[in-house]
Amino acid sequence: MSQRPSTGFRTFRAITTVMMVTWLILPLVPLAIWSFSRSWFFPNVLPSAWSLQGWEYALSDRSGVIDALWLTIGISLGATVLSVLAGVPAGRALGMYNFRGKQFIELLILAPAIVPGIAVVLGIHVVFIWLGLANSIFGVILVHLIPTLPYMVLVMSGIFANYDPAFEAQARSLGASPLKTFWYVTVPAIMPGIIVGALFAFLISWSQYILTLLIGGGRVITLPLLLFNFATSGRNDLTGAISVIYIIPGILILILTARHLSGRSGAVGGFGQI
Amino acid sequence: MTHVSLQELTKVYPGATAPALDRLSLEIASGELTALLGPSGCGKTTTMKMIAGLLPVSSGEINFDGKSILREKPENRNVVMVFQNYLLFPYMSVADNIGFGLKMRKLPKDEIARRVAEILALVRLPDLGARKPKELSGGQQQRVALARALIVQPRVLLLDEPLSNLDAHLRFEMRDLIRNLQQEMGITTIFVTHDQEEAVVLADRIALILDGRLKQYDSAEAFYRRPIDEATARFFGSHNFVGGAVSDGAFDSPLGRIVLPNGIADGPGKLTFRPENLRIGPAAESENRLTATVLSKIYLGTQTRLRVQVGDEVIEVLANPNDATEIAEGETAPISLPAPALWVVR
Amino acid sequence: MSDRWKIILLLTPAMSVIVLLFLGGLALGLMRSFNYMPIIGLINPNFDAYLAVFTSSEFYLSFLLTFHIAFTSTAISCVLAIGAALLLRRTFVGRSLINFLFQLNLTVPHLVGAVGILYLFSQSGSFARLANEFGMIERPSDFPALVFDPFAIGIILQYVWKEVPFIGVIVLANMQSLGEDYESVARSLGANKWQSFIHVLLPLIIPGVLSASVIVFAFTFGAFEIPAILGANFPAALPVLAFRKFTDVDLAARPEAMAMAMVIALLSAVMIFFYIRYTRQKFRN
Repeated sequence: MSQRPSTGFRTFRAITTVMMVTWLILPLVPLAIWSFSRSWFFPNVLPSAWSLQGWEYALSDRSGVIDALWLTIGISLGATVLSVLAGVPAGRALGMYNFRGKQFIELLILAPAIVPGIAVVLGIHVVFIWLGLANSIFGVILVHLIPTLPYMVLVMSGIFANYDPAFEAQARSLGASPLKTFWYVTVPAIMPGIIVGALFAFLISWSQYILTLLIGGGRVITLPLLLFNFATSGRNDLTGAISVIYIIPGILILILTARHLSGRSGAVGGFGQI
Repeated sequence: MTHVSLQELTKVYPGATAPALDRLSLEIASGELTALLGPSGCGKTTTMKMIAGLLPVSSGEINFDGKSILREKPENRNVVMVFQNYLLFPYMSVADNIGFGLKMRKLPKDEIARRVAEILALVRLPDLGARKPKELSGGQQQRVALARALIVQPRVLLLDEPLSNLDAHLRFEMRDLIRNLQQEMGITTIFVTHDQEEAVVLADRIALILDGRLKQYDSAEAFYRRPIDEATARFFGSHNFVGGAVSDGAFDSPLGRIVLPNGIADGPGKLTFRPENLRIGPAAESENRLTATVLSKIYLGTQTRLRVQVGDEVIEVLANPNDATEIAEGETAPISLPAPALWVVR
Repeated sequence: MSDRWKIILLLTPAMSVIVLLFLGGLALGLMRSFNYMPIIGLINPNFDAYLAVFTSSEFYLSFLLTFHIAFTSTAISCVLAIGAALLLRRTFVGRSLINFLFQLNLTVPHLVGAVGILYLFSQSGSFARLANEFGMIERPSDFPALVFDPFAIGIILQYVWKEVPFIGVIVLANMQSLGEDYESVARSLGANKWQSFIHVLLPLIIPGVLSASVIVFAFTFGAFEIPAILGANFPAALPVLAFRKFTDVDLAARPEAMAMAMVIALLSAVMIFFYIRYTRQKFRN
């Protein structure tokens, strides 16, 4: 604020910066190296032999990585679409209206964002077996809504709270039908919110492990399940390759939308679930 | 009592091409209330922050009673700044807000409590110490902010747009409060504002800053009667400028030869006169009398605003409504320019 | 259509998901934890599962470990995040790089971080190899146990890696929207840098820090995959223990798993209480 930083402080800041940058990148480094290693035994600091074996296997049909990738994308897209369909109307109700019991409804919608999945999924498992939804892709998509929906609603209620319904009334008075009003007036106005909310929903679904494991019952193998299996079975080269594949969508989304994601939005809490 | 002297004070923000403040020199007498006036972005808030030590100075000097304070940290300057939006700490009670500066100076608790009670009475909020800032009205919040500043008995008090967030009726109350406290405690006070009216009602002297440079440093009356140039006159609400030249105590212009007050030097310039000083219709006098065509007329209640044309010059007139009742748009009317109200800018 | 019906209609899809899946899941878990589930013929509720859970020392060890993981991770992350945010609010060389890495880190799933920490800190991991290179250790077993260890150091390291950027981004945004004027006021009233941080900035950002902490605490208390990868076998983190009981070949252990799930749910209910306290306005904003 006031004085120019002193030399001592600048040195401290430089050292901290280097340490922070190193620490932030560090855990990702061995993953990347492992994915290109052929043999890398203790005590070698770097692999003694390099190869693309891990990547070749990961990208081949045998490993199931590509199938898992498509399945994961499909499930996350499904959960995202359903979150948008349910979250936009709820956001409108909470953002634009005041009604009795509103705080209670807000609480109910936020609760799943905080209650860990393991606390609910064991009970859901019982019903899903009974309903025939266990071990199915659709069952997994449904259960992913539990962590994705709260942030969708949170983002949309924020958008609708700053949205003036007079625009809709204006469009109607100019002769637009309710459907046209929705399409030409409402949707463009709330689109930034839908995009941000959808990206969060996608990433949250993308990172789910325990919900998929229990409801998918070992039949629905998404990328994180595959990653976990290879990581715990010591296939480090393959684990490295899958890790790299697994983090790419998040990075892409970040690069495309960095300017939309300010920490000011309550939706950033969604990152806590990834 | 502190004499404040700014010498060639300059601020260039990193990456900026033009300085935000360009070689500002001001002498502010001890105990005086001075306004830094200018449009937003003219460098006046920058000046205040540099005096308070909240912004580093690019070049120039700030002296208090002849001693440079540039090396002092903000907390040691004893210069308190009151922000436009008051910035009361929201999680503290009113009393804790006011006592903050004394607490930072590690005064004993009972003394802080005693002095807080004193100053609360002084700003006429004796019973509100336990409240939270958000429970107060805007005017009360401002008085708390003022009390929080005055309690540390600053050498210099800086006020950022002190009246601009207040309703019209509160403005005069607050103006009197600020003036009274400032005079009583004899604190050298500088405030910034973009509103010439605010500057006129509150300040002893006004420094007009346009585009980072000091235009004129004078009493309020001087800005109306003897603006230094056209931009200054325009800032104070004058729109009437007529080109021409002064010779032998009169002004030769498209309006004809206009008699000037004494003491205006010869040479080219622009004749300027405030719209409220013109006489029109039955009030027109014989000196500097002209015939004008009325272009438009708007009744404003206590005044009537007219736009009239004399030759090619369009002139704005604020007339007494009684003088304007008989005048109709499109017709001609006599106007006169009283010599004492005339001034020439160069 | 009246507003009342509009609101009901607008809320129906989301509330169905919440009520049927979330509350339904909790309710069924609760029923099962009492051994009550008429559809599979269990019609006599009892406390057997809770008795079994609350009399086993393994549960208490697990609970303590999990609490330690959640509390320590959250506390360390908060302190470091506030420090990082203080640094990042000023412009300097490297700021945008750290900012970018913070955001990048937010998008990396915990699971990947956990594997990365495993490869870095295990006894045959990168740091052990470096230690060998510098002659500090000879065999992997000479390297201190930082993963699969009783103090959950590896797990906490992973959480700190993920949550410092998370809390940091929130705190930084909080600081930026506050601006520096409050601190300027404090400085001009005679507070030094440290006083203006302690008395002014910290109280202003604490609500944001607390609401982020609640999310972090609840997540770190209930996450499964991170302790499953980085944790010791015994005692295991509570979610891991619950999962083991749930997938036990002995079906009789299932109600115990449900009882543990209820313990986790109860704890998160407490967290929600705090979250609501600190973020009530945020929902509307």
